[in-house]
Amino acid sequence: MLANEAIARAVVESDVKVAAFYPGSPTSEILDTVSMFSGEFKDLTMEVSANEKVAFETAVGASLAGVRSFTSMKSVGLNVASDAFFSVGYTGVRGGMVLLVADDPHAHSSQSEQDGRFYAYPAHVPMLEPSTAQEAYEMTKWGFELSEKYSTLVLVRTTTRVNHQSAIVSVGEIKRSPFHRASWKDVGAHYYTLAATARRLKGEALERLSHIREEFEQSAFNIIEAGEGEVGIITSGVSYLYVREALETMDSRPHVLKLATTHPLPSDLIGTFLKDKRRIVIVEELMPYLEREIRSIAHERRIDVEIRGKLSGDFPLVGEYNVPIVRAGIASSLDIASADSYADVMSRAESLKEGLPVRSPIFCPGCPHRGTFWAVQQALKETPYVLNNDIGCYSMFLLEPYEVTDSLLCMGASLGLSSGMQHVLNDKVVAFVGDSTFFHAAIPGLLSAVHNNHDLTLVILNNSVTAMTGQQPNPGSDFGAAPVTKLDIPSVVKGLGVPHVAEVSAFEPKDNVETFKEALSYRGVSVVISHGPCALYNDRLKRHAGTPIVPNEVSHDTCQNIYACIRGVHCPAIELDTATGKSTIRSELCNGCMVCAKMCPVSAIYSTRGDDT
Amino acid sequence: MNGRYNMVLSGVGGQGLMLLSNVIGTACAQEGLPVITGEQHGLSQRSGSISVHLRMGEGTYGPLVPPGDADVMIAMEATEALRYIEFLRDDGYIIMNTRLMHHPLETMRHVREDAATEPYFSLDEVRKRVRSVTPNVLEVDALHLAEAAGNARAENVVLLGAACGLPGFPLKKETVKDVIGGVVPEKTIDANMKAFDAGDGACCDAFG
Ligand SMILES: Cc1ncc(C[n+]2csc(CCOP(=O)(O)OP(=O)(O)O)c2C)c(N)n1
Repeated sequence: MLANEAIARAVVESDVKVAAFYPGSPTSEILDTVSMFSGEFKDLTMEVSANEKVAFETAVGASLAGVRSFTSMKSVGLNVASDAFFSVGYTGVRGGMVLLVADDPHAHSSQSEQDGRFYAYPAHVPMLEPSTAQEAYEMTKWGFELSEKYSTLVLVRTTTRVNHQSAIVSVGEIKRSPFHRASWKDVGAHYYTLAATARRLKGEALERLSHIREEFEQSAFNIIEAGEGEVGIITSGVSYLYVREALETMDSRPHVLKLATTHPLPSDLIGTFLKDKRRIVIVEELMPYLEREIRSIAHERRIDVEIRGKLSGDFPLVGEYNVPIVRAGIASSLDIASADSYADVMSRAESLKEGLPVRSPIFCPGCPHRGTFWAVQQALKETPYVLNNDIGCYSMFLLEPYEVTDSLLCMGASLGLSSGMQHVLNDKVVAFVGDSTFFHAAIPGLLSAVHNNHDLTLVILNNSVTAMTGQQPNPGSDFGAAPVTKLDIPSVVKGLGVPHVAEVSAFEPKDNVETFKEALSYRGVSVVISHGPCALYNDRLKRHAGTPIVPNEVSHDTCQNIYACIRGVHCPAIELDTATGKSTIRSELCNGCMVCAKMCPVSAIYSTRGDDT
Repeated sequence: MNGRYNMVLSGVGGQGLMLLSNVIGTACAQEGLPVITGEQHGLSQRSGSISVHLRMGEGTYGPLVPPGDADVMIAMEATEALRYIEFLRDDGYIIMNTRLMHHPLETMRHVREDAATEPYFSLDEVRKRVRSVTPNVLEVDALHLAEAAGNARAENVVLLGAACGLPGFPLKKETVKDVIGGVVPEKTIDANMKAFDAGDGACCDAFG
């Protein structure tokens, strides 16, 4: 099973009663799997919150009230939840609570290569790091035990290559206890942190950690694999697997210490490992977290050992690791000349791939964002503008063939940036957010703009789900793990006091140009909400309901090689018939959204259903 | 089985690559063969390039196949065989769907350069280039075989059938077919079995 599924399994086996989430790669499958389990076990409440802060606080609340709870989020999600996270480091928890945070080395699907390990130290929260799916399962379970034993939040930290690993995992039985409502007076404690209490709690948190360190010194998850000679490798997480594999093809047999408890570090264990070594190689992705800590452990204990890693320039600071990189890094750290056996393969591949067309991510057939953007662009044709984009599938407007995005920082930032820019620029200031991003972090920015009489236009691309992470529900969706109330975005926007609000259907690009022009020429805050369901989500609904997806076709008799359908639409279902030079539609890919048909000036595109548009 | 068996699956988002890797993984579990897979997929849009690494056999190792180490590659789309060619070992096997899916950027370039009747990057070109790494290339018209089997969506199963027919492939065909039968919709089981056999047959004709 996928490591993320194994983590969800551990959550259910650990008898967690409340789990709350906001999706984000590479953790989304944990949410999806817990959601499935919650259908099966009625004593497990699972919900999707508006953002990570709310999800985290929901889980903390349940824990303080006495039950086990869980949340997971991507690296940058913890930035959003961090305010509460730091306080919980002080107060501790009551029912066992695990927070899983997944970093994304290489920024495969994130805006940064943030290293979440640095959160554990200042928040006084213990941290566990699995390497494999099996360990992810076991350490999540252990996390709940530790959490209850020490009344502390436990952080399980993974990376993309751990979360998206799939392997055979041996799991335990699912034994659920019945759920009973409790009474707050049975809790008999208060959870707040302020001034003198904060100082007291900080002392207690540090005390807790020193006991946890003692337990970590003994943990069977920290493994020493004996080798030969005076060289040792210290590693953790997925890097350990790369080390093992790299060493298979190398002549040296260094000792290996694999760390699974990375805060607080088992400093005695590490000290002992360092003592009889001449040289230590640290293999870790992202920032030199272990390397700095281990340097200081060596220094404190006056151990004379050379420590190599990123700080010594042997390993890269940017990008993820793999076997070739780790092999080269170890060789360089040991001053062994290593013939890079991969260089030939890579350079041959590079030359073989010359001229191979790129296959970058692009909007799906039937995606509503395509038509929305086309209309906005037409409406802005004569106007100098700045486009502050945001996080979601529509982020792809920054890629070819669009390349229209002036800024994109993090969820919800388009509003605040627009506010700042409209104070300074002559240009029309435009912000884009998706429905999920709107609820997640854009509302405070929007109401600030209204309150301060700003001049900007916000386009809300409402596709009814959080699409990019796998079409999970958000507060504007009509489904969830349990019954939900669907929030109506136009009502929310009007409720915030936005003076100019309009709504359009995303699949009517030409009709919408006027509406966008009006909103864009309005002096003040204007909002246009473009409705149209995510194609992947909608196609799935259709398949379940047995409704056919009817593709379009191009009449080659009518087509006059104008290519409006290619230039304006960029749809994967549309290609050229290179024999005639005319557009054709691949029926197995076409979703029948009709946007291309509406673009065609000579009406050459029609639905194969027969109701010509 | 002795040692490690490495596979790379590649294709275009939406082609059913994840199902393929799940089927192989489950079949390994059923045969007690250790397996680890690493998915290299970006976000959830269709139409991007995706790949999955699958590693079978004893030992502790990571989810990714090192360059030049894959015993077999299944490409659900022909150009996607070339895109990940660095992973294949010399003389490794390629099961390559002959289908090409043209990316909108490539189409756009043709239109922009007034070259609407110029050929796209061609199957011939892919064929020529991958064959410089290995002679063991099996080209499969998976869409055609899947349609003939009664389910156009079973292209992935055709290709899996072909992989299972390879000499040295570590899984039993029966196990894989059982797993497929358990995961596809009930009314398509028959077509999927036929699709599997069609792929297997094509492979046995070529390498049997
Ligand atoms: C703080 C934070 N949490 C989660 C994510 C992961 N994430 C990336 S795209 C996205 C979807 C946003 O959904 P929406 O705004 O509705 O746009 P859509 O993808 O549906 O077009 C999310 C949640 C993130 N980048 N940052």
